[in-house]
Amino acid sequence: MRTFVLVFALITSFFSSCTNSPASSGNTNHYGEDVLQSVIANADSLKTFDFVDARVEAIKNALQRPIPVLLCADSLNGNQELAQTIALSDSTFTKNIRDIKTNTPYRNEIFAVFPARESDLLNFKQTFNFKDCYRVEMYNYPLNLSTVAFVDIKQQKVVSAFTQEQTQPEIPQYLKTLAIKIAINSPEVQEAYGIKPSEKDALMASTKTSLNRTRCERSRHLCVAPTFVKDGKALWAIVDLTDHKLVGVRWTNVGTTGPAAPMITERRLQDDKITACFCEKETALEKNGWKLNYMLTSSDGLRIAQVSFNGKPILQSAKLVDWHVSYSGTDGFGYSDAVGCPYFSQAAVVAFEPPKILEIKDDAGTTTGFALEQAFRSEQWPTPCNYNYRQRFEFYKDGRFRVAAASIGRGCGNDGTYRPVFRIAFATEQNNFAEWNGINWNNWPMEKWQLQSATTAYAENKYQYQLTDNSGNGFFMQPANGKFGDGGRGDNAFVYVTQNKPAVDEGEADLVTIGPCCNTDYHQGPEKFIEPSPDNIQNKKLVVWYVAQLKNDDTKGNEYCWAESVLQNGVYVTKAYPCFAGPMFVPITKTISK
Amino acid sequence: MSEYFLTIRRMLCTAGCLLAVVFFSCKEEVVDFDANNCKKNPPFIQSMGFDGKSSFFSTSDIRTMGLLLLQSEQPGNPNAAVTRSFQHPSWRKGGWLAPILIDEAGNIYTAPAPFISMLDNPVANNNTIYKVDARSGVMEEFMRLPLADSINAQNPYGIIGMVYLCETGTLYVSSVAGSRLHEENGHIYVIDVKNKKIIDQLDHTDAMGMGISYASGKRQLFFGTGRNSDVQSTILNKEGKFSGKPQMAFSLQNLGPRGDDKVRRIRSDQSGNLTVSGIEFNFNLIAPREKQETLYEFVYDEEAKKWGLKQAP
Repeated sequence: MRTFVLVFALITSFFSSCTNSPASSGNTNHYGEDVLQSVIANADSLKTFDFVDARVEAIKNALQRPIPVLLCADSLNGNQELAQTIALSDSTFTKNIRDIKTNTPYRNEIFAVFPARESDLLNFKQTFNFKDCYRVEMYNYPLNLSTVAFVDIKQQKVVSAFTQEQTQPEIPQYLKTLAIKIAINSPEVQEAYGIKPSEKDALMASTKTSLNRTRCERSRHLCVAPTFVKDGKALWAIVDLTDHKLVGVRWTNVGTTGPAAPMITERRLQDDKITACFCEKETALEKNGWKLNYMLTSSDGLRIAQVSFNGKPILQSAKLVDWHVSYSGTDGFGYSDAVGCPYFSQAAVVAFEPPKILEIKDDAGTTTGFALEQAFRSEQWPTPCNYNYRQRFEFYKDGRFRVAAASIGRGCGNDGTYRPVFRIAFATEQNNFAEWNGINWNNWPMEKWQLQSATTAYAENKYQYQLTDNSGNGFFMQPANGKFGDGGRGDNAFVYVTQNKPAVDEGEADLVTIGPCCNTDYHQGPEKFIEPSPDNIQNKKLVVWYVAQLKNDDTKGNEYCWAESVLQNGVYVTKAYPCFAGPMFVPITKTISK
Repeated sequence: MSEYFLTIRRMLCTAGCLLAVVFFSCKEEVVDFDANNCKKNPPFIQSMGFDGKSSFFSTSDIRTMGLLLLQSEQPGNPNAAVTRSFQHPSWRKGGWLAPILIDEAGNIYTAPAPFISMLDNPVANNNTIYKVDARSGVMEEFMRLPLADSINAQNPYGIIGMVYLCETGTLYVSSVAGSRLHEENGHIYVIDVKNKKIIDQLDHTDAMGMGISYASGKRQLFFGTGRNSDVQSTILNKEGKFSGKPQMAFSLQNLGPRGDDKVRRIRSDQSGNLTVSGIEFNFNLIAPREKQETLYEFVYDEEAKKWGLKQAP
């Protein structure tokens, strides 16, 4: 069992709007205030509402029953109840209520029982007495599947039943009320609306309905949008009724004529907000003596720049250029994935949520620094051939910093190797780079690459390289050897050092894909800036490229760079097994350097 | 693993690529077969021993870059085994490709489109049309469309749609090269294939999938916009040039499982009704396998003079 020493606790996730403040951006943002002030709710700090507890209990109880289906919570008359009972005793109607392989119950719920319409039974040759016929609608949450039965209560049988994949029936009044309750009790809604809205405020005058239809395309959950109108604008509060949580809020203009306004959905809310706030502008961050700017790029992940500690410039920039993913089962098969912005980008895996700022604590609970973390996800992760990458910059109060990233699977097979390509450009104008040979620090005179191996020597059992200026100040570079307490098992990394030439852009601007998926040797891309004629790197401004090599594993109990879906309380949840990689930079002190 | 990919590919293809069509690609733009069907099998297929009735071209194989000629056990059945495959060495020169179009002589036209990364598809080549000669089977550069003024790192795409009007021998090519998030810089070019000349163009239009229809007796080019879910149409004159400004025809907005689909392809039937393939598209390089495709059928109501959705997915 792995032991995680570090604890990352969320301290900021941009509940508040990003603004066009000149202090944080030199750009003119093209998005309106509606987008800039939209909120993507933070899944890590969700409140558990007391009023949801009873429903959660009912769900758990239903899952224990032989027919694990939540009955319709709306008021039903005797005939409707009879129709519901008949439907649930029909094997065709209940065909999908359990996982076929494991017999584990799915979360199912009867959403409606109402008299059948003539149009429902048009395809039948036999005639029906419509007053005896009912339409029973059931929703399967994990499969996002609707099942409909037509029940003849006089004949006590199901006349017909069918399923519709990726569809959701009209939700019952009980869930509408619950959705509104979740919305009005969510702090994000109250903050956006100005006060806590009442249930009566959830009403679209134009449609006479309290709920707008919406979609959660990414989570594939049951979502609706209680909508609150104020001052001629509508506040959409997207509520996830699978997880009983708020997804986010966004204002829109209320149109009275013309074409239908685009629906505010989970994906649109996320993509617009991320683009407006993090792809089109830099954000300044100052904490624990560290000062930096960050923004999402088209294809190089989250980029930090102008990084200083206690006023001293440390990094010009750092970013994640590529993920090279190769599968050993098939020669030359894999992908070069870039990560970045959701719209107009060269990213194959895009940011779904804003960057998070996390507090780093040691195992004694003491705060030692903070981390800036960004997640990138394929839409259908963790299904096969979908990817999830995490990028993390760690900054410590003692001046250490780490540039890290993880794959969380799942990829196209269990024979995959992930190679993240980091580019770390130092700020100091005159640096030297040296490797520890077991006795001394040996300077690299020219641009060069090297592979970490089993025989690599480490100073103090930790440090493989050092990067120092003329005065001897600088950093030790500690590759990940499974000692960072994040579950990482070592990087087996290629390290490249190149000169940061003032007149030549060798990757400071957004880089297109730098290397192919499947090279297993040092040809990962950075060598292009070294070969064929390596430049002198003594007393130069330097760029360190770091390419970790992470082999995935799906062995039970030993999973790594992996993810899988498991049924929990009737719905699928993801079990993630990240493989974090990346070097730590430790300030050089006299004691250690001598 | 390979089985998985085949399944995914087949799932995607089933939606719109193998509807009894001899030549196909998941990303292919196909002219209307009934009202505008003149394409002919390239003679080189038979000279190579491929059966023209059960063979097809593909640019959708995720393991093989470029154009492929495949022969299937059961044409039209996406699950049928591929019995033969061929790739001429020249068919890889454009990198990963997308549209496939065949003219009345059997010449094939195609264009590059990046697949997951830009490694094999430099932006500078994204406005290049390639032609596979009907007789020799060799792929050569046919023509380069004007490079957009502002090729940029944001937008990895150039040509993304092609259709052919048999009557006039004109090729309609949509390119979004140079477009940015807040600047619509794309074009639809009308190319006289015989003379390799651009004879007309629509500017500041990011068009995606296109189709030609003769609904209500008019020769019209329909195209989906890359910026939203709208489909516009413009009348084509007897020379194949644009006649008048594009008009809004209908929209996929709020339809289907996603509600914001963009048009990948438009096909017309004999009555002029349109089958529109919709996918998610945001000008990024998200893998096509992630994109579910939905078919929407639109019918023209002559009385109301407007298009309506025939069958909600």
